[in-house]
Amino acid sequence: MRRFTYHEPKSIADAVHLLSAYGEKARLIAGGTDLVVEMKQGKKEPDHVISLRSVPGVNEINFSGGYLRLGAMVTHRAIERSPLIRERFTLLADAVDNLGSVQVRNVATVGGNICNGAPSADTAGPLLALDAVLLVEGPEGERNISLNEFFRGPGKTALAANEVLKQIIIPELPPEACSRYLKHTRRKAMDLPLLGVAVTLIPEAGGEICREARIALTLAAPTPIRAIRAEKHVAGKPFYRAVWEEAGVLALEDSSPRTSFRTTAAYRKKMICALLPRAAAEALERSGRTMKG
Amino acid sequence: MAKVLEPESGGVALQAVGKRLPKLDALDKVQGKAVYIHDLKMPRMLYGKILWSRHAHARILNIDTSRAEKLPGVRAVITGYNTPEIKVGFLKDNPVLKKDKVRQYRDEVAAVAAESLEIAEEAVRLIEVEYEPLPAVFDPVEAMREGAPLIHEEKGSNILKLPWKLICGDPDEGRRQADFVVEETFLLPWVTHCCLGTSGCLAEFQPGGNLTVYSPTQIRYLAQRDFLEAMAALGLKDKRVRVVSTAIGGAFGSKLDTYPFEFITILLAYYAGRPVKLVFSREEEFFATPARQKVEAKIAQGCTREGRLTFRDVEMVLDNGAYTSWGATTPSVMMMPISSLYKVPNVRYTARCVYTNNIYATAMRGYGNPQATFAIESQIDALAEQAGFDPLEFRMLNANTAGEVTPQGFKVGSCGMKECLEAVRESLNWNEKRGKRNGRGVGVGSLIHVGGGARIYKSDACGTIIKLDDFAKVTVMSGATDMGQGSDTVIAQIVAEELGVCIGDIKVIMGNTDLETWDVGAHASRTTFVAGNSALYAARSAKEQILALAASLLNEPQEDLAIKNSVVYSRRNPAVSMQLERVLRAAHFKTGGTQIVASHFYDPPTQMLDKEMKGNFSAAYTYGVHGAEVEVDRETGRVEILKYVIAMDVGKAINPMLLEGQLEGGAAMGIGYSLMENLQTEKGKVLNPNFLDYKMLTFADMPEITSIIVETGERFGPFGAKGIGEPPLVGSAPAIANAVYDATGKRVRSLPLTPEKLLFDADGSEERGGE
Ligand SMILES: Cc1cc2nc3c(=O)[nH]c(=O)nc-3n(C[C@H](O)[C@H](O)[C@H](O)COP(=O)(O)OP(=O)(O)OC[C@H]3O[C@@H](n4cnc5c(N)ncnc54)[C@H](O)[C@@H]3O)c2cc1C
Repeated sequence: MRRFTYHEPKSIADAVHLLSAYGEKARLIAGGTDLVVEMKQGKKEPDHVISLRSVPGVNEINFSGGYLRLGAMVTHRAIERSPLIRERFTLLADAVDNLGSVQVRNVATVGGNICNGAPSADTAGPLLALDAVLLVEGPEGERNISLNEFFRGPGKTALAANEVLKQIIIPELPPEACSRYLKHTRRKAMDLPLLGVAVTLIPEAGGEICREARIALTLAAPTPIRAIRAEKHVAGKPFYRAVWEEAGVLALEDSSPRTSFRTTAAYRKKMICALLPRAAAEALERSGRTMKG
Repeated sequence: MAKVLEPESGGVALQAVGKRLPKLDALDKVQGKAVYIHDLKMPRMLYGKILWSRHAHARILNIDTSRAEKLPGVRAVITGYNTPEIKVGFLKDNPVLKKDKVRQYRDEVAAVAAESLEIAEEAVRLIEVEYEPLPAVFDPVEAMREGAPLIHEEKGSNILKLPWKLICGDPDEGRRQADFVVEETFLLPWVTHCCLGTSGCLAEFQPGGNLTVYSPTQIRYLAQRDFLEAMAALGLKDKRVRVVSTAIGGAFGSKLDTYPFEFITILLAYYAGRPVKLVFSREEEFFATPARQKVEAKIAQGCTREGRLTFRDVEMVLDNGAYTSWGATTPSVMMMPISSLYKVPNVRYTARCVYTNNIYATAMRGYGNPQATFAIESQIDALAEQAGFDPLEFRMLNANTAGEVTPQGFKVGSCGMKECLEAVRESLNWNEKRGKRNGRGVGVGSLIHVGGGARIYKSDACGTIIKLDDFAKVTVMSGATDMGQGSDTVIAQIVAEELGVCIGDIKVIMGNTDLETWDVGAHASRTTFVAGNSALYAARSAKEQILALAASLLNEPQEDLAIKNSVVYSRRNPAVSMQLERVLRAAHFKTGGTQIVASHFYDPPTQMLDKEMKGNFSAAYTYGVHGAEVEVDRETGRVEILKYVIAMDVGKAINPMLLEGQLEGGAAMGIGYSLMENLQTEKGKVLNPNFLDYKMLTFADMPEITSIIVETGERFGPFGAKGIGEPPLVGSAPAIANAVYDATGKRVRSLPLTPEKLLFDADGSEERGGE
């Protein structure tokens, strides 16, 4: 690995300043579980590595005023161990339960997972299905970016080179909502998904009809996506398996999966159809209901 | 936990043999005290780094090392142009530094020794190589065609001049006799050993010019011979080479040959005049270490209406890759199951190894047997179905038995195949579970492997020296190699048993060619059998010397004396006794005294295969049966192993705990081979040189293994034992594929058995998944 200078600014503003000063030669580091791997492979060779670990407050989980706020430096392990997240934002807990290993989760952060822009990022689908918004800070101050607009391509995001992700803001779900993230892998652990399906369901009063569904897919396209056609199809309809199977077919229209050495597009398509109804059924089961048919 | 099916007790209760003892160095290893090549450091040591090829096939036009040479901290830069030519591999077709052309991305083009690894890496980046790309060929079938690019022009053909051929009986007549015949083609992928410890070595020249190589090799003495050839090339003909083993972080056949990187390290140490260590990164380990080769196997078998096998006909094409290592000789082992798994009177086997611009093929645990057995045993199920037999019954009908001489000339001593089949039937609840086609299914895969060494070389021997000190502490110097399998412990148990001392009094020393006597290497599941017998006979000889001394000290006839718990006593009158250490001191502390040193060179009673590839090349044969119960997710194609059982006829379990370790570790490799391991290449480039994309099982993927140990008592084995190092992965793939067939009715004829292959039709009506 190439030698570099390591910086530990005490505030986001200082980090932004350093990023602006060093430009291309600088790189932010959070847990380093993506960045250091790439540095070792020589894919990234920053001269300045800027850590956010000394910035106060960025590793806090805060729930108030109808919003869950995750600091960018919140680790996957902290999410995994948060009873609040497991209870109220369950699919986010699903995302980290099988992310890397305990060792990885102890240092890897949710901010790094999102900012890295990998099409396979495990928290991306769940955060999309939670309608998350990102609070970022740059030289001109703060701005909000909807996660829906954040991913621009493999490894590409809407962040400018001198912007820092501060916080991920997630609106509270109504108590009747339920959710599920399915990570489909070859191996049971230490694996990236072949396909990820995240589903948040908000039923009508009575629980028989789906009022709103948010469906996100990873590895179904060059970036994590929302399956809008599928969402529209299931809204207002009862929780029937047939409806969700149709949704699976519609989700294909929102998708453009690729063949790579990891698997084929055909297999990914088949998994979209197989796993969307499964994710919805398992979400429903969590609220004590069952998918009919 | 293992269930042991024991033979009739031989009467005498054993003290050390048969005990569940943890491996002697287990504590050192878990505490991080064992010294691996990665830990080793010498004063003034430099770090070596290799520059690999950027092409699969290209002419080298120019190598410019001038910028690397100028980098501060660089102490040597070598290429094929400024060093003597050294060729390695058993066909000597692999120059350690490539000159004129490269044949694979893994090719060594230059190397550097520097004060730090970082400097060495930087220096390698500064070397500029000009290439002219050449047309390449990656498919062995294409490589055999007229006009295909030649990998080694001087050979005139890509087909190796190793025409493997075995004919027993009359295979064509056998086909005519068959009432049912099945013909299929099976495909097996490249897979690699995945040693936890990557490859590496450290070379150091002594002031007088003698060389020491520290290495995790499996073949200390053959490596010594190879390194002496390098010394001759350097003009150091009369100097000595000492090979010292480090702790081995896994080998599995990968360290059974010597490779260019070792010679490069020696060259670097020579030209830099300082010790040099070169250790592979994980990525290098994946693409530069030879692997288990890709095989295409056409196979036909037939049986009569009564279910008797009449013939087996197998034709294989093996991807040899760009160079020749032991991979090209694996057909010699594939012949074993092809000729001798079950009673099959008429057999034909031919195999061609073909050069391509792929990574190259070497030995890997099982040595061809897993590939051959996948084809044979998958097809046995298909044949049984055609002929209307329960596949397990069909195997019982054709099972091998003790005392038979197989068509290839193997003299089978002990054989517990039927016991193993019965044990697996019971453990899987076979009769209840089979044939449901409801997404759950059971399957078995039987195996045969050499269990009493294998006479591949003129000698299959191992030497042992035993000495005892003043305090009755025993030192055993064995030529064997412990690579984690537990040879150190097993040898200690055998010697403890024979000498009547406790395990704690024994120290086993292995790993220094200046100290111990010769051994051919840790291969062919031979160490417990061959090194075990060698240690046993050396211990017996030491015991005779001790008892002769004690006889005069105690005034008792020697035949009446025995040793137990480090006391020499008279069997007739146990009151007459003497501490073993007193006997030894009495030998030392007297005028005209003596010392107790014994040695034995054990070579098993076997034959080399003759010109027709026939003969009894092992002193014993190990049999076993793998059984699996699986559940297949019909929507996703994922295969879940619900139960996994291995029943293994091991002759005698010297150490059931270590034996289970072998069975479980082997199963992990075998299940990985069956379901997900696949070293993927595209135009010769390894696509997945990391543990994210090369899918080895994790703990979470590993089912619990039920180990059933069948003890048949092998006449030539130490305390009745046979070798079991390789068999625990041989039967996995067919057992799982057969179980998947039982669950789904889908027969997958290629590994790994991926969800894609299960969900998509092979006939192309849908896009076929898999790679
Ligand atoms: C063994 C192993 C297993 C893994 N398994 C998984 C898995 O199962 N699922 C999965 O999704 N990932 C996995 N990963 C990838 C990785 O752990 C995750 O993506 C992790 O969340 C990255 O977080 P980090 O804090 O380590 O990021 P870093 O590596 O520190 O940073 C990643 C990128 O984000 C940028 N960045 C970080 N923080 C900010 C910020 N606040 N503002 C702007 N840019 C920022 C960095 O500059 C860098 O480009 C694995 C990695 C390893 C090594």
